[in-house]
Amino acid sequence: MEKINLVDALSELDEDLVVKGVKSQLAENVPAIEILGQLQKGMEKVGKFYEEGEYYLSELIMSADIFSSVADLLKANMAQGAELETHGTIVLGTVKDDIHDIGKNIVATILGCNGYKVVDVGVDVPIEKFVEAVKEHKPQVVGMCCLLTTAFDAMKDTVAAVKAENSAVKILIGGGPCDNNVAKYCSADYYCKTAYDAVTLMEGQCKA
Amino acid sequence: MSKTELYNVHLERIKKAIALEKTDRVPVIPVGNSFCANHLGVSLADFAMNNELAADTMLKSFSSLGDIDGMQQPVFSPYLLSYQWLSKVRIPGIDLPKDVPWQVAEAEMMTVDDYDVIINKGYNTFFKDFLKNRLDNLEEKVNPVFAYTPQAIENCKKEGLVTLSPIVCCIPYEVFCGGRTMVKFMRDLFRLSDKVQAAMDIAMDDIVESTRQVLRAMKPTGAWVGGWRGASEFLSPKVWNRFEWPYFKRMVEVVLEENVIPVLHIDSNWERDLEKFLELPKGKCIFSSDHATNIYKVKEVLGDHMCIMGDVPAALTSLGTPDEVYNYSTKLINEIGPKGFILSSGCDIPFNAKPENVKAMIAAVTDK
Ligand code: B12
Repeated sequence: MEKINLVDALSELDEDLVVKGVKSQLAENVPAIEILGQLQKGMEKVGKFYEEGEYYLSELIMSADIFSSVADLLKANMAQGAELETHGTIVLGTVKDDIHDIGKNIVATILGCNGYKVVDVGVDVPIEKFVEAVKEHKPQVVGMCCLLTTAFDAMKDTVAAVKAENSAVKILIGGGPCDNNVAKYCSADYYCKTAYDAVTLMEGQCKA
Repeated sequence: MSKTELYNVHLERIKKAIALEKTDRVPVIPVGNSFCANHLGVSLADFAMNNELAADTMLKSFSSLGDIDGMQQPVFSPYLLSYQWLSKVRIPGIDLPKDVPWQVAEAEMMTVDDYDVIINKGYNTFFKDFLKNRLDNLEEKVNPVFAYTPQAIENCKKEGLVTLSPIVCCIPYEVFCGGRTMVKFMRDLFRLSDKVQAAMDIAMDDIVESTRQVLRAMKPTGAWVGGWRGASEFLSPKVWNRFEWPYFKRMVEVVLEENVIPVLHIDSNWERDLEKFLELPKGKCIFSSDHATNIYKVKEVLGDHMCIMGDVPAALTSLGTPDEVYNYSTKLINEIGPKGFILSSGCDIPFNAKPENVKAMIAAVTDK
């Protein structure tokens, strides 16, 4: 039987083929971690298509969905304690009073697929919860998602509290109505227009 | 000038802008709801539950901020959001503190099986049942809003103000996406594409028919044809061309056939597909974008074809200064207008916009 190319199958959003491919590799005793690596490459390819304007949010959501459903299948087969090596850590959440989570989830998926550890603290996140997560996980970067103008002040306060806890951590913000002025208003370090900006910025922050 | 004469001046100016003809000045037609309550110190809980109070507050707020030509919408109730998107809405004073803006609570209210119900029993049957059983008798809450709308329009008219778009038309994409939730619906578009399309086709016929009836009964100046979650930025061309555009275009045509002005309420980024809008008749519609679509791009592609309305950004009216708002608005007037342009906010003026910023926006058209 010809081996199914998981990178292509996933990047072409062929769910049935992905599931079939994963199952047959598991049956051939390919380590789960290696299969996961192939799937991550597939997600990177999806990311490229997105950047090139061939794929859109609809395809990102669909690919993330296929990815997570087969990742569940793999986790069951993963050796205890085996974890992929990561390049760095980000604490990511949608700020207080705001419950928009689609953008945040995409940022989490993309960063995860690119080898970063993402500590997702959820939506409508109280300031203390961001601070606690920074204390506990010692990330290089904190990402805040905000889609409501009425939550700008909450974001500003969150940035201040996180900086007070750890002045070295870099803070990225993003989401619909944000721009560079909003980043300035909140004293955040960078504004990201898309999830991919986060990958580029994380690369810069985590090399040092 | 009497208020009736004033009304006619405003209406004439708007119509000329739509026909891409020269006007004495650019019209300005704000839109917003919670902002008005905040501006006049009306509690959001009262504003949300009392239709008359909401309408009066909007009229008083906007007309006190300068010489506007009209308002886009004369009434508001958070239950209308519930009705449009098949979602529950959390209401200040009931589910939220008194002065926190209402919120659509996105949840999977519509199931995959509902596509079959629509296909087998028709959309109207599904919709009525949904309002009654899954949205707690929503009709009882929205009917008074609809019933009060003609009076609210009349009240604006008495002040010489045109009500541009008291009715909102939604295509199946928006309704289903609301009921299923955005993420689940996007998966349906891949996994159940044929079924979704079949349900959309059936729903569209029913929605078109009820839209025609409402337009005939009310004879409004214009109506919103809304595009929110069906924006180009969210969908690949293949998906957009199949599930969004044909329905959107048909809805615009239906509104035109009823002699009502289609106000294309375009949220998020539609830049990729602007050329499609050239398929709509020239000088008849308003393209109203929310600042996510680059308005200069809209001008470049559609400037000779369609009146443009917009797009003072929500972040600017909430965080900016009056000078910044004034300068932004003046730039739009000179560079997007002065012909074929109506000044407004990009989508709603947000709850926490500063009144002096809204005033500065309006002043940009009226200052000599
Ligand atoms: C879907 C949606 C909803 C859904 C949310 C579902 C969900 N699970 O998230 C529901 C229906 C629940 C909703 C509710 C509301 N919404 Co809403 N919603 C939207 C909509 C249409 C799309 C948002 C979205 O998901 N976009 C897709 C994602 C992928 O884009 P994104 O979030 O911007 O993220 C991308 C980038 O920005 C970036 N990014 C985002 N965050 C971050 C963070 C970091 C660190 C980085 C690096 C990058 C990054 O990466 C992502 C991928 O590229 C927008 C319209 C718009 N133009 O944004 C309105 C919008 C955001 N909503 C709006 C409003 C007003 C509301 C409500 C208040 C409405 C109401 N009255 O009920 C409530 C608020 C509830 C609350 N307390 O949060 C307004 C906000 C305007 C303003 N004045 O603030 C908008 C802009 C619509 C409009 N034009 O009026 N909404």
